[in-house]
Amino acid sequence: MRPEQRALVERAALLGYLAAVVALTSVHDVRVMAAAQALTLAVAGGRALGLMRRLVVAVGPFCLVVSASYAVLTMPSGQFSGGYLVLVNLRVAALTSLTFLFMERVNLARALGFSRGLLYVVNLATSQALTLRRVVEDYRLALRARTLARLGLRDRYRHSAASAARLLAKAMHQSGEIALAMRARGFFDDSASR
Amino acid sequence: MIRLTGIRHEFPDGPRVLEDISFAVDPGEKLVLLGANGTGKSTLLRVLSGLVTPTAGDYRYRGRPVTPAALKDREFGRRFRREVVLLFQHPDTMLFNPTVYEEIAFGPRQLRLPDIDERVGRWAGVFGLTDHLDRPPFSLSGGEKQKVCLAALLVLEPDLLLLDEPTAHLDPRSVGWLVDFLSELKVTLVVATHNLSLAPELGERALVLGEDHRLLYDGDLGSLLGDQERLVAANLVHIHRHRHGAIEHRHFHSHDWD
Repeated sequence: MRPEQRALVERAALLGYLAAVVALTSVHDVRVMAAAQALTLAVAGGRALGLMRRLVVAVGPFCLVVSASYAVLTMPSGQFSGGYLVLVNLRVAALTSLTFLFMERVNLARALGFSRGLLYVVNLATSQALTLRRVVEDYRLALRARTLARLGLRDRYRHSAASAARLLAKAMHQSGEIALAMRARGFFDDSASR
Repeated sequence: MIRLTGIRHEFPDGPRVLEDISFAVDPGEKLVLLGANGTGKSTLLRVLSGLVTPTAGDYRYRGRPVTPAALKDREFGRRFRREVVLLFQHPDTMLFNPTVYEEIAFGPRQLRLPDIDERVGRWAGVFGLTDHLDRPPFSLSGGEKQKVCLAALLVLEPDLLLLDEPTAHLDPRSVGWLVDFLSELKVTLVVATHNLSLAPELGERALVLGEDHRLLYDGDLGSLLGDQERLVAANLVHIHRHRHGAIEHRHFHSHDWD
């Protein structure tokens, strides 16, 4: 396939992805949501098991905490709805699976090649994500290096909280520095804000 | 104490970072691991601390293979983690407890040692941290954080101390203090650095990783420092113009003491 054709296909895939995201957030039928999740797994083919594993790692703890909180808060007042809980979790699963599939198969930079501004955003976001991924890996290894016995819940919580706080601080600091550097290189039109 | 044979490592979907690395370290030795940026120094230290499993090759600690399965063995894993400790390049990476006291006590607490207060007090005193014991580590300066990390590692009385660019975030006074401290420390030491002029202060034997990720040199540090050809090959020295008033000249040299 020629590069221009490839870019067109990837742009079409991007449009399809965006339309699917809008659809999945607009539909409130559990059966449709389950079908969408089944479809993403079918499209993944032989990699469906790996996709499921990544899905559980990525959103499993989040869904568990949100679901448990919802149940605890709504059960005493009798407002708990099992159907709603399933719908929300299925929606998160379908959107996440779809995004994993899209990122695996589509070169986002090529798909957004029509807009220089969007390309800047993608490049900045990717470089930030890669930097933060390295930091997370360092945190994980540093804890492992200092772990002599099975860690208790308190130590795990402390480590997670400290790591999250530092990641947020680092991300904020880096984005501030990047914005300054971009301003210094004339990226922003300072005269427009005067 | 440790022996590596034919160690090779490459990250999944990534470049090769170590190639055919073989060397041994005896108890009490002080080694300086030199190499330009990106040659694999940090990865090699992570292999030595059992955090990264090499793609190929054999790594033994006191005669026993260091593998994920071996480290899962409760007795060996605990002994290895207590005896082999690693100071990460960025101290923030290692600190997560709410106070300096708890940070230093983290290791002894896991081992349920009976004299935690005494140990923490002693090492806090060694590193001048006694007045900071109730403070959160994140509120300390870079040099103080480095000292907390070292105290948290040394409180376990390890046999092998691995240091990854320990002077990278220190001011000159703290670098001087660290050099003095390490020279008096009675442990086996492997220090990774690209700071050539600091190397003679840190050890007697040099390991040099080349830009092809192979071991370029293993031997006496003094001989290495006199071997300009090898230093150029390892990208540890460079050449550029100097101006002294009206005189301009070029020669090889290293930049140092960050």
